[in-house]
Amino acid sequence: MSGGPAVRVSIESTCEKQVQEVALDGTETYVPPLSMSQNLAKLAQRIDFSQGSDSEEDGIDGKPRDREWTKQEPEEEEGTVKFQPSLWPWDSVRNNLRSALTEMCVLHDVLSVVKEKKYMALDPVSQDPTAGKTPQVFQLISKKKSLGTAAQLLLKGAEKLSKSVAENMENRRQRDFNSELLRLRSQWKLRKVGDKILGDLSYRSAGSLFPHHGTFEVIKNTDLDLDKKLPEDYCPLDVQIPSDLEGSAYIKVSIQKQAPDIGDLGTVTLFRRPPKTKAGTQQWHVKLEAAQNVLLCKEIFAQLSREAVQIKSQIPHIVVKNQIISQPFPGLQLSISLCHSTGEKKNHRATPDKPKPDDHLYVLEHNLHQMMREFHKQQLSSVVMPHPASAPFGHKRMRLAGPMAYDKAEITSLQHNEGLLEKIIKQAKHIFLRSRTARTIDSLASRIEDPQIQAHWSNINDVFESSVKVLITSQGYEQICKSIQLQLNIGVEQIRVVHRDGRVVTLSHQEQELQDFLLSQMSQHQVHAVQQLAKVMGWHVLSFSNHVGLGPVESIGNASAVTVASPNGEYAISVRNGPESGCKVLVQFPRSQTKELPKSDVIQDAKWSHLRGPSKEVHWSKMEGRNFVYKMELLMAALTPCP
Amino acid sequence: MGVTCVCQVPVSEGKSVQQTVDVLHKKLEQLGAVKQGSFCVDCETYHATGNVSGQPTKLLYVMHNSETPLSCMGLFEGGPCMIADANFDVLMIKLKSHFQNAKGHKVECRGSRYRYCDFLIKVGTVTMSSSARGISVEVEYCPCVVPGDCWNLTKEFMQSFLGPSVPELPSVFAAKPEGLFAPSDGVDTMTQYLELFNKLRKQQVPGSNVR
Repeated sequence: MSGGPAVRVSIESTCEKQVQEVALDGTETYVPPLSMSQNLAKLAQRIDFSQGSDSEEDGIDGKPRDREWTKQEPEEEEGTVKFQPSLWPWDSVRNNLRSALTEMCVLHDVLSVVKEKKYMALDPVSQDPTAGKTPQVFQLISKKKSLGTAAQLLLKGAEKLSKSVAENMENRRQRDFNSELLRLRSQWKLRKVGDKILGDLSYRSAGSLFPHHGTFEVIKNTDLDLDKKLPEDYCPLDVQIPSDLEGSAYIKVSIQKQAPDIGDLGTVTLFRRPPKTKAGTQQWHVKLEAAQNVLLCKEIFAQLSREAVQIKSQIPHIVVKNQIISQPFPGLQLSISLCHSTGEKKNHRATPDKPKPDDHLYVLEHNLHQMMREFHKQQLSSVVMPHPASAPFGHKRMRLAGPMAYDKAEITSLQHNEGLLEKIIKQAKHIFLRSRTARTIDSLASRIEDPQIQAHWSNINDVFESSVKVLITSQGYEQICKSIQLQLNIGVEQIRVVHRDGRVVTLSHQEQELQDFLLSQMSQHQVHAVQQLAKVMGWHVLSFSNHVGLGPVESIGNASAVTVASPNGEYAISVRNGPESGCKVLVQFPRSQTKELPKSDVIQDAKWSHLRGPSKEVHWSKMEGRNFVYKMELLMAALTPCP
Repeated sequence: MGVTCVCQVPVSEGKSVQQTVDVLHKKLEQLGAVKQGSFCVDCETYHATGNVSGQPTKLLYVMHNSETPLSCMGLFEGGPCMIADANFDVLMIKLKSHFQNAKGHKVECRGSRYRYCDFLIKVGTVTMSSSARGISVEVEYCPCVVPGDCWNLTKEFMQSFLGPSVPELPSVFAAKPEGLFAPSDGVDTMTQYLELFNKLRKQQVPGSNVR
């Protein structure tokens, strides 16, 4: 190839259109080619219809398209009707029309006859099932289409519904807030300040004098993001409580042995799990109740600490941080603490290593709450109001003090000058004394089997007094030996014992005193039992003494002794029983049974040998029998000879 | 409230009022009585104004007793008496137009209070405008309210420390109807005190035994 410049070669198709005009600048204007219909018309113009044969019908439709068709027809007609050239050219048309008319008339007649349904009836022709079966694909497509339209309609309707529901929800949320507010108002005091709704959860309207304001605020919680899912415990109303009342609190009252280290004070932490909330309560209700409880606990503790500081007592009370410590009895410590947990920091120990024994006295905590509420009530009681206009505020009886000339003793009895702390200390003392008494009696009962000690505690008690009936009996001889029955009235600091025989003994709070007393009563019981047994067995009681002055001195109580003689007078049994020294039983035999008879000239008659002579001690521990009285019965039976 | 007897103890010869009182105190303590604080009985006089001339003005005596600290007693001499609330004093101020206070006539009796088993003994000095006029002794037997039943016992008790100057049955008790249950109350005590005060007021200032 030579490296000459490329030559441009252009190809052009032959021009098949006629040039209509050439412009001065050289552009050629072509005649636009004829369209199909125009072409057809041109061709049709060339046809000379005057030369055509008899079948020229172009009146039916004027479409040029049919001209060619009609052109063909006359050619065919020419072929068939060649042998009838004399016929009119419209004859076939006329015949056709006539036959068509006939057909139409027949059809019309048939239809009118069928309409009457008297002579003719229409019967559908059974379809050939195989002929009318459409292919399955078509069926599927048609069904799909129809379902699609139906689904679209439903979706449109659903969309409309959901929109209206959303609107309703918004409205309802507003209304819900109002209904919640109504419910809140039915249980708590509310007032409107400006555009805020404030409430009062303090006890001031119930008679409290605590200076805490106790106001909470009600917050509307309705503007929520609708797209987000609502939390389960959603409430359109929320309350905001004062920050120092958050969490939960309770007052722990416990009695312990005196803490040796005073540095441990003030470090009481709690934790008691908060009680499970009921299913139907609202969150705000739970919050408000907890805050009110915290407020009441604070009030109680403030009152107690104020009294602890002001009231002078023999042993001063210690108030340290959240704890008040006082000494009801020597060696014992009563601690009242306010345990307030804000609930923010969780307990770091998931489970405590060893659960401390819960020495929290729930009864005293409940009593503290009750006493505080009673104090509130007194401030507002009907005893105070209504009152005469000229009389000062105070108890109703105090108004009578003037006109009735009450003296000081009567006036002091009217006035309540005992504070909350004193009352709770007295109650704690009583509880402690009662539990210790019970422990003493139970330990004695388990330790000593003969005689048996029974305690019947009374069901109905006072906060400051309880009573128990103690019976000392021997097993198997309850009906005979029932002379020792003690009624113990346990007070705040003392125990008063009333004996069956009328003696009244006052015991102090010392545990040892009660124990010693019961031991001495048990020893006396044995001797009483012998006395009763003698009556049953027919033996005669020769002497009886509750407190003998002979023999070794007992450190607990006194020894008692009894002497009984057999029915025929031959034998005598002497019993001496002491709480410490135990029992000593001596049997006196008639003189005739002694081994060595002192010979003397004084006694001449043989009858004197029937008198009782020397006595011998019985090895009581070796005697058969399960308890003292049983052994005694066997001994008596052995010494009563058969006739 | 028991049966009360108020009597006057004459000042011993050659001794002052205070000394006589001390002697009494000592006797009581020897007897075994326990001192239990102090007491005060006072009396104010009011003249009833607006009276028709010719009739003597009625005197209203308003008395207080520390034994009944919230009460106030109003007495007319020999006439009706009443026990009222402490607000009665305030009422009397409001009734200034009808009852005028005779300020110079206020009488007071102060002293110490002893208790001996069922007896309450109050030994007091009667002063009128800060001058001692005499000695009063009040003995109350608490358990009993019928004066006739316990008068003998009270008299015997008073003899044990008062010696010869034991009074007879006070007129207020003698005036009570015999046989009917007529308990004594604060009014009787106050009537006795009033009699005593009036007697001492009528007495001129005693010769040498002042203060």
